Amino acid sequence: MLANFKINTKYNDVYDIAEQVKKVVEESGVQEGTCLVYNPHSTAGLAVYSPWDPAGFVDLDEEIRRLIPTKVDFRHQHDTPQDAAGHVKSALLGISGNFIIHEGKLLIGGSQAIYFLEFDGPRKREFYVKIQAD
Amino acid sequence: MSKYDNPMSRQVFSLPELIRQQYEDLEPKTRTVLSFQEIYNIQRIVLTGCGDSYAAGMATKHAFEMLTGIPTEVVPAIELSRFYCEKHLGIDCLNPLVIAVSNSGSVARISEAVQRARLHGCFVLGVTGNETSPLGVNSDKILKLDIPSFEGAPGTRSYEVSVMALLLLAIRFGEVRHQYPMDEAMDMRFDIRDQGDLLEKMLPDMAALCEKTAEAWKDFPCYDFVGSGFDYATAWYGQAKILEATGRFAMHINTEEWFHLNFFARDAKHMGTVVVGNTTSPGFSRTKEMVHYANELGRPMVVITDGAEKDFGEKTTYIRVPSPKYPVSMPLTHFAPVALLASYIAELIGEKYGRGCEGDWAFADGGAGVTNSEIIVK
Repeated sequence: MLANFKINTKYNDVYDIAEQVKKVVEESGVQEGTCLVYNPHSTAGLAVYSPWDPAGFVDLDEEIRRLIPTKVDFRHQHDTPQDAAGHVKSALLGISGNFIIHEGKLLIGGSQAIYFLEFDGPRKREFYVKIQAD
Repeated sequence: MSKYDNPMSRQVFSLPELIRQQYEDLEPKTRTVLSFQEIYNIQRIVLTGCGDSYAAGMATKHAFEMLTGIPTEVVPAIELSRFYCEKHLGIDCLNPLVIAVSNSGSVARISEAVQRARLHGCFVLGVTGNETSPLGVNSDKILKLDIPSFEGAPGTRSYEVSVMALLLLAIRFGEVRHQYPMDEAMDMRFDIRDQGDLLEKMLPDMAALCEKTAEAWKDFPCYDFVGSGFDYATAWYGQAKILEATGRFAMHINTEEWFHLNFFARDAKHMGTVVVGNTTSPGFSRTKEMVHYANELGRPMVVITDGAEKDFGEKTTYIRVPSPKYPVSMPLTHFAPVALLASYIAELIGEKYGRGCEGDWAFADGGAGVTNSEIIVK
């Protein structure tokens, strides 16, 4: 089973997609298996992060920016500095996540949520959820 | 095609294909001609040129400011080369960015202007079809134009491409400086490309009205072109084409100054008046007032607009031009009717473009009037 979701993102924003993924898993009827969440973009990422304190996202953003600052001397000059930085962020953080399905539900910790990370934007984005039974 | 078909009108009819073709050529070039560093370094922009290239600067100055937020001036080449305050050149590390436009690149005053700009520490981007021309060799970077050759006539295709090149640069600067997202930048670019299709659809009606107007106006001793903002650039271009194509006197003025000056002209009923008035212009209310009083004076008039009679509330002749998604795209097509009008009048009166550079005009043969001039750089 493959599900597709669309997102209209804002610049450099974070989107909680955990509930959408959980719903796909439950509706699939698969009791035991795996779930792949996949983002088909090169300037956006996917991460598992704690949802409890909104300030945590500021930390994440600040650390990503510290590691990969938007600068004007990227070699990739076809688009924009934000875009060039976004490519590097996406490559380093990754664009997919694998999860376990157990007893018909997504096996995910209480302090874990799944986030679509926009490193450029505003853009029309999408992500996929693939369900596979054991 | 019109019964008054001529090389200049054929240039106008070639514009839709030229827009589509040149978009494909210039879109990638305008992405790469300046680096991120160079674009982020821009504090001020000076657009310079002579003749139609100067008009191309006027047509896009507002687009540069609207899209990039960077203060932008249009400075005639002789002002930049001989008068522009030296203290304002070479400021803030290679500023202002001087964008100098000349398809031939061989115009003496442009060569002089960019040499002076560089001497005093500006960064020069030459927009030219000739990399080895005086403009080409005196520029820090070159945006190379490749305009397919066509029958000779007063500049119509070269003006189109100059305007497009400048608009694409403005969009690029704003995109890189994150004034809007990449998707919006692409949407603006596509709007530029799509003007070719829009113009193609409207050209037959446009030409029919220009033909009728030319028949009615062919014996007028002079013509008055009025507009404000980037409509003024189209008005300026219109008076230039009348002079070049027909040899008749022509004036250009903005809508406000028209009330100070041009409306005093005595022989109102023999003065072809062309008003350029797009409905999205911040100056539109003044344009409407101007159209009203030109009617009261009995001026023979055409209004070039993306709107219609209901927008102006005046009975006169309206020549419809494309209404783009982004108003900055308007200068790409709104000059087409004025070029057609000039071309048809020239054909009707049997006038040679540029007087054929014959007789008293022989000194200007081959562009000698603008290329043979003493260069003084200091």
